[in-house]
Amino acid sequence: MAKPVVIVVGADKGGVGKTTVARTLLDYFSANNVATRAFDTENPRGTLKRFHPDLTEIVDMTATSDQMKIFDTLNSASPSVTVIDVRAGLLSPSLTALRDIGFLDAARAGQITFAVFHILGPSIASLDEIAETANFMQGAKYFLVKNFINNTSFFEWDQATYNSYFHRIKDATELTIPKLNEMAYEQVEVASVPFLKFVANKSMKDEAANYSFVLRGYVRHWLANVWSEFDRIKLTDLVGSGKSGARGGEK
Amino acid sequence: MSRTPVYIICSPRPLVGKTLIARLLSEFLLLKNGTVAAFDINLKEPSLLDYLPGITETAEVDDTFGKMALMDRLIVNDALAKVIDLGFHAFDEFFKMSEEIGFMKEAARRGVAPVIFFVADTDRASARGYAMLQQQIPPNALVTVDNEYVVRGELPATMAHGRILRIAALPVFLKTYIDRLTFSFTDYLRHEKDSSTELHQWIRNNYLNFREVELNLILQRS
Repeated sequence: MAKPVVIVVGADKGGVGKTTVARTLLDYFSANNVATRAFDTENPRGTLKRFHPDLTEIVDMTATSDQMKIFDTLNSASPSVTVIDVRAGLLSPSLTALRDIGFLDAARAGQITFAVFHILGPSIASLDEIAETANFMQGAKYFLVKNFINNTSFFEWDQATYNSYFHRIKDATELTIPKLNEMAYEQVEVASVPFLKFVANKSMKDEAANYSFVLRGYVRHWLANVWSEFDRIKLTDLVGSGKSGARGGEK
Repeated sequence: MSRTPVYIICSPRPLVGKTLIARLLSEFLLLKNGTVAAFDINLKEPSLLDYLPGITETAEVDDTFGKMALMDRLIVNDALAKVIDLGFHAFDEFFKMSEEIGFMKEAARRGVAPVIFFVADTDRASARGYAMLQQQIPPNALVTVDNEYVVRGELPATMAHGRILRIAALPVFLKTYIDRLTFSFTDYLRHEKDSSTELHQWIRNNYLNFREVELNLILQRS
């Protein structure tokens, strides 16, 4: 049986694009035929659930019963990949909880593959989270995600500040999420469908839709760039599904 | 089902004759098909809208809304030929967007046949623009326009290899004559009794060239 994989997408700062990145991950796994389940911790109404209702369950990460629902089923659940979209402010408490229940020890022992996508905002406070989160990362794959979807910058203009954050954590891998055209982003929001369905001009029920060709083109171009970043970090190898070759969603 | 042609007349340089070619082509299509849709993205130069207000609408590619309004019309296989007079200021933005949204590929998939008329000049901006088009436009969809009035018979070597549409220079007095807003090429052909005049032959020759471009489109399909 495949080793369970848990991917946490989070940040302590709000509005940095956590759910957007989680959505691109679910689309990426779907296109690569990796069965996935997702948990949305934006309780009681989850944004991730709105875009991926079939895969996603809303949970309260601070409640023991919901922690059991996620982690006690890791070995028995049929999709071996679990994506957890952790809402703003809950990343550090969630990692603390994972350490307390022995999950991080299991990851360190190689029983579970554990990856954290830490979405960064353009503030010192957000960058300070890196050091805090890094304390939990022994045995985990730690990805620092610079999300440019909000047209932001990460102190690249001040190399000393940049290096003090991005080059301090030895085993962290940087990822870049490029900017998506605002109107295209809003149109996907309005459509409430996964990015892949929007590109394919389909509604949530797989019926033909009538999205703008221009906006679909922008989303397709952007999604291809995001996925090339996931290919670069060999995400499919990480989840144990082998090579990311020809995938359905890129046609 | 036949493919719908979309003719894009462009150059990164002003005043090279884009609108003149757009006028000629629009009138030719109107004469041949009885209908044509023209789009003017050229408001900072002499404008197609001024010459053919009945069939021309303005368009812009400065913002996403404008791009949607234009491109969502162009990508439809509705058997209605389209002519775009693309101003020099919009050249880079249009083709950057076109590459990003995969216009050429989607057009081929939907039965739309874009033909790019690149009006050549001898300067650096034109060389750069042409090289950029060569990267993203299939050779059979890229036509270099050798406007004798602009390049004076010295088409740059890099542009001399693909498909070429030659537009002969007219004497200045005839150029002034056809530049009048009320002038119509087809009306001239219909009403001028003497078919041996220089202008008569010039118009017929250009119409013939456009017919060849159309024929090429049909041959490519078969």
